[in-house]
Amino acid sequence: MLKYLKKYWMFCLLAPLFMLGEIGMDLIQPGMMATIVDDGVLAQNLDVVMHEGIRMILLVLFGGLSGILCGVFANLASQQFGNDLRKDLFDRIMHLSFAQTDHFSTGSLITRLVSDVTQIQQMVAMSVRGVVRSSVMFLGGIYMLYRQSPRLAFVALCGLPFIFGFVVFFLKKASPMFHVVQQKLDIVNNCLQENIAGARVVKAYVKEDAELLHFNDANDALCATTLRVQTLLAFMTPCMNIVLNLCLVAILYVGGHAARTTGDISSGQLMAALTYIAMILHAVTFMANIFQTFTRAQASVKRVNEVLHCEDVPATSYSHATFDTFDTLEFRHVSFAYPGTAGTILQDINLTIHRGETIGIIGATGSGKSTLLQLIPRFYDVTEGSLLLNGRDVRAYAPETLREHIAIAMQRAELYSRSVEANIRLGRPEADVWAIKHAAETAQADDFICRMKNGYYTLVSEGGHSLSGGQKQRISISRAILKDAQLLLFDDTTSALDLHTESRLYQALEKACPHTTKIIVAQRVASIKDADRIVVLDAGQIAACGTHEELLGTSPIYRDICSSQLKEATV
Amino acid sequence: MSEQNTLPKGFETGAQETFQFRSSEVKNNAPAVNFNGRRRMGSGALGQAVEKPKDASQTLVRLFTYLGTEKKLLLVLFLSVILVTLTALAAPALQGQAIDLIFAGNWPRLGLLLVTLLGVYLVSTLCTLCQTYVSAHLSQRIVRRLRHDLFAKIDRLSIPYLDTHSSGDIMSRMVNDVDNISTSISQSMGSLFSGVLTIIGTVCMMFYYCWQLTLITMITVVITVIVTKQMSLLMARVYRMRSRVLGQLNGHAEEMITGYRSIVAYNRQEDIIAEFNKTSDELTKVSIRAEILGGSMGPLMNCISNIGFVIVSAFGGYFALKGLITVGVISAFIIYAKQFSRPINEIAQLYGSLQTAVAGAERIFELMDQPDEDNSGTVELEEVKGEITFRNVNFSYVPGTSVLTDFNLTVKPGQKIALVGATGSGKTTVVNLLMRFYGLDSGEILIDGVNIQDLKRDFLRRNTAIVLQDTVLFTDTIENNIKYANPDATEAAVLNAAQMSNCHRFIKRLPQGMQTVLIQAGAHLSQGQRQLLTIARAVLADPKILILDEATSSVDTRTEKNIQDAMVKLMKNRTSLIIAHRLSTIQDADKIVVMDHGRVVEMGNHAELLAKKGRYYALYMTQFAGSAT
Repeated sequence: MLKYLKKYWMFCLLAPLFMLGEIGMDLIQPGMMATIVDDGVLAQNLDVVMHEGIRMILLVLFGGLSGILCGVFANLASQQFGNDLRKDLFDRIMHLSFAQTDHFSTGSLITRLVSDVTQIQQMVAMSVRGVVRSSVMFLGGIYMLYRQSPRLAFVALCGLPFIFGFVVFFLKKASPMFHVVQQKLDIVNNCLQENIAGARVVKAYVKEDAELLHFNDANDALCATTLRVQTLLAFMTPCMNIVLNLCLVAILYVGGHAARTTGDISSGQLMAALTYIAMILHAVTFMANIFQTFTRAQASVKRVNEVLHCEDVPATSYSHATFDTFDTLEFRHVSFAYPGTAGTILQDINLTIHRGETIGIIGATGSGKSTLLQLIPRFYDVTEGSLLLNGRDVRAYAPETLREHIAIAMQRAELYSRSVEANIRLGRPEADVWAIKHAAETAQADDFICRMKNGYYTLVSEGGHSLSGGQKQRISISRAILKDAQLLLFDDTTSALDLHTESRLYQALEKACPHTTKIIVAQRVASIKDADRIVVLDAGQIAACGTHEELLGTSPIYRDICSSQLKEATV
Repeated sequence: MSEQNTLPKGFETGAQETFQFRSSEVKNNAPAVNFNGRRRMGSGALGQAVEKPKDASQTLVRLFTYLGTEKKLLLVLFLSVILVTLTALAAPALQGQAIDLIFAGNWPRLGLLLVTLLGVYLVSTLCTLCQTYVSAHLSQRIVRRLRHDLFAKIDRLSIPYLDTHSSGDIMSRMVNDVDNISTSISQSMGSLFSGVLTIIGTVCMMFYYCWQLTLITMITVVITVIVTKQMSLLMARVYRMRSRVLGQLNGHAEEMITGYRSIVAYNRQEDIIAEFNKTSDELTKVSIRAEILGGSMGPLMNCISNIGFVIVSAFGGYFALKGLITVGVISAFIIYAKQFSRPINEIAQLYGSLQTAVAGAERIFELMDQPDEDNSGTVELEEVKGEITFRNVNFSYVPGTSVLTDFNLTVKPGQKIALVGATGSGKTTVVNLLMRFYGLDSGEILIDGVNIQDLKRDFLRRNTAIVLQDTVLFTDTIENNIKYANPDATEAAVLNAAQMSNCHRFIKRLPQGMQTVLIQAGAHLSQGQRQLLTIARAVLADPKILILDEATSSVDTRTEKNIQDAMVKLMKNRTSLIIAHRLSTIQDADKIVVMDHGRVVEMGNHAELLAKKGRYYALYMTQFAGSAT
């Protein structure tokens, strides 16, 4: 975490420096006030009042300026620190593997980015400004007290171990609780996120009240935990105060005793001693506050570090291999289970795909079709066996290199709240409008896009709610086509299209990219029956592989699939 | 040669047009940025963004009404603050007395005094404890209620609103803005109270000693008020902007983190990160400005109060010289003048935190002030037969772009109706309207002859179950997801529903079976499995009207065939509306409605429509052409 602050060491240094200016002013100013009162007002000397008054105002202005500048530098340091941290965290999040994102859950990642970073930033701001201030005040106070009377300073020092004891005790207890607070916040966030995203279902089933109760549970848990920490910490300052106040009374007693027996303490000294004790008290309270922020931030630091330092799963395993042209893709005894889960999704898959082929994949729900596709761009890595691209294990390629040559249209079209054009352009940012138009035409999306009010510049709402399922899919397909990659993967992306549009799409696709290797997952036989080979998956295993005609003859499952779709075709 | 200059069809509207949905406020806080990070909308830039001048005091008053309901706690807080303030005043006096006694050599009384002092400190400590304790309770109770109210509001927001607003921004209101209010209340309430109390007390004392000098002191107050006013104008703007940019940043982060799969698949992380960084930089700039402004209040006030002190000294000296007041009065007065500056200073320090809270509260109340989803209609039918009539329905999401035009359809009770047609022909819209997610432009929809606008909304929805294309599952156990519509369902009923919808097989394969908690709302399930689960949910809901919107689009046809019997059973005695592209799913419907561009173009049963050799026939043939052999 400290390395983020290093960049701003100048500001971190300047802020306390100006802070010293402010404190210095704070220390000198009472003396001047005393002069104005004693020598000016009470002595009825207006000259002194004017003279000292102007000096004091100048000094105060200087002090104020120092204070403001201290704030400027402290903020330049802490805000920029926070900014760097936030950016790095987001960068890291965008580069997490799918398995890691699943592990953290998106809701928690958002809280870490949004809430935890802020906590840490606040701690830095407070430290830069407060640590110097309170330590100077604390040490200065003790030193001044010592100069007034070593004996009184000793009395005060007796109280210090208790104070630090309290600080350690409370913070030790609070530290794990802050961690829980952030976790509960995750849950609240997650609940909220799901409710907004699933509003239609919540409303359709009239579950508003039930969801509110559900949310209340999360909310109550969060509030209760927060309250527990706050209640605990509510005891911290009073406990420290009572120790210091005891010191104060003890000083009065000891001082009084000294004054009576030896007479080596004057009333002025005693009064000064009380002032310094008050100063120390102030400093200690402030420090306690800083420690509190520190402890809270500690929990956040841990959570942010978890993401920042989480192992790149395949970090060591690839050697930055590259390839220019795609030749073959071979699944060799591939098995797969989602990390952290027990159920095997794919089992001993053996399949070789050659350049220019169109492969159709069909099979029952949950038979592993989508999972099979997700292994190719290394969204997940195989659990057993190997996936070879051009004869090399895909794990030898950096995911980015691999994905450079692969275009995938997801089963659930992911659209973003920006224009249709920008959503398609995601496939290839440097593409010109004609290329975008062409890709959309191939995906049979151009017609409906042109009918929209602002054409390609129509804004898509978040998650694409403003579009119908088929429209979303076609925009997502346009994106994949625009990328013009060597491998085109369709993960059941035409399921919401009507058959007419779908068949036109595939015809256009064949014309637009005849040499691209295509792997098409589908439910409908019609989508893939022209494929060079069709792979029939069943319960994670390849049940059959061949052309439509071959499979009709050899694969009972495939025949079954066909007949289920052609039920009354002969009517 | 002219091709260079002309834009392809669909691109003509150009970048200069603003992109808006229905209302002007939609996405007003999300400047449209394309994936290269280039701004498409010039007007979205931060500096030019118009911050609506809102009345901060109104927001404060509203925030105080939240406080107002916690009268008991407030009273306790108030009492403990008074005691803390009093002890804070008493302690120095007692200390002074103690010193006097020491040097007067009055030992017996010193002992007593020290005990009294200890007592005062004890009271002070207890009251401080009480104050922090109550503040914490107060802030958490209020935050709890704010979150509760906010969530309740979010649940009541209309679908059009949710469809067009960034969910990350809404979440930011719930997390950051509420959090700011919480911090503000727990940290500043006590100081604010005691500050105001001290100021009032001091001013009273000052008036008691010398009203002329007090009036002069008030110059300081006037300056303070003027400076605060100017500063707060500046601050409110910046703080508001900060809350907004923060919301925007969170909105962007939320959207990208939830939709990161495509970003990753297309290696677009760098663009997205660049974009995020840009907003993050903006936020940093605004935050630095806000924090510097907020942090300047303390030193500024300090200067002013010190200048005030000099003024008082000068005039005091002058008055004393003229013999208007005694020296003793001045010395007492000056002590109070010094005391006066402390609370003002403290309040000034809190000012930034208060402004942040107000800016947050504004955003929270803004959301709370959104109109509720239309909840008109009170009619509850004794028994829903399930007759649905669409009469001359017209509808458009964007004014001017008609989605349904003069749509007419009558469904008899218990009938199974299939809606087919090209995507974008308005099928899902029919569902949106029937569920009252969106309101009609004109025409009416009747259920059993009653306009759905007159029906109680919850009644309408309770009798209608929908299974949507975009499956919605919650991070909860599978059992609870199935029981969603009917939490009281027995285990046997849940099992039966799972069996009917054919999901028991994959559930059984999971290590914890029904009790498996779905990771990331079912991210590891296949889309088809997710759909089967939502069908099981509808089975348990036991509605009068069933709507299946592409409910089985990702379920393979064999599995679908397996659940066909269940579906037939499910649809028995219910009116069902089915949207599907797979003709195999719909060919046994009682009536098939072929839609095109928001109009009904053909209607009839499978055989009739085939015989007609119209559009349905064409659709049918593409499905099977070449494969029926």
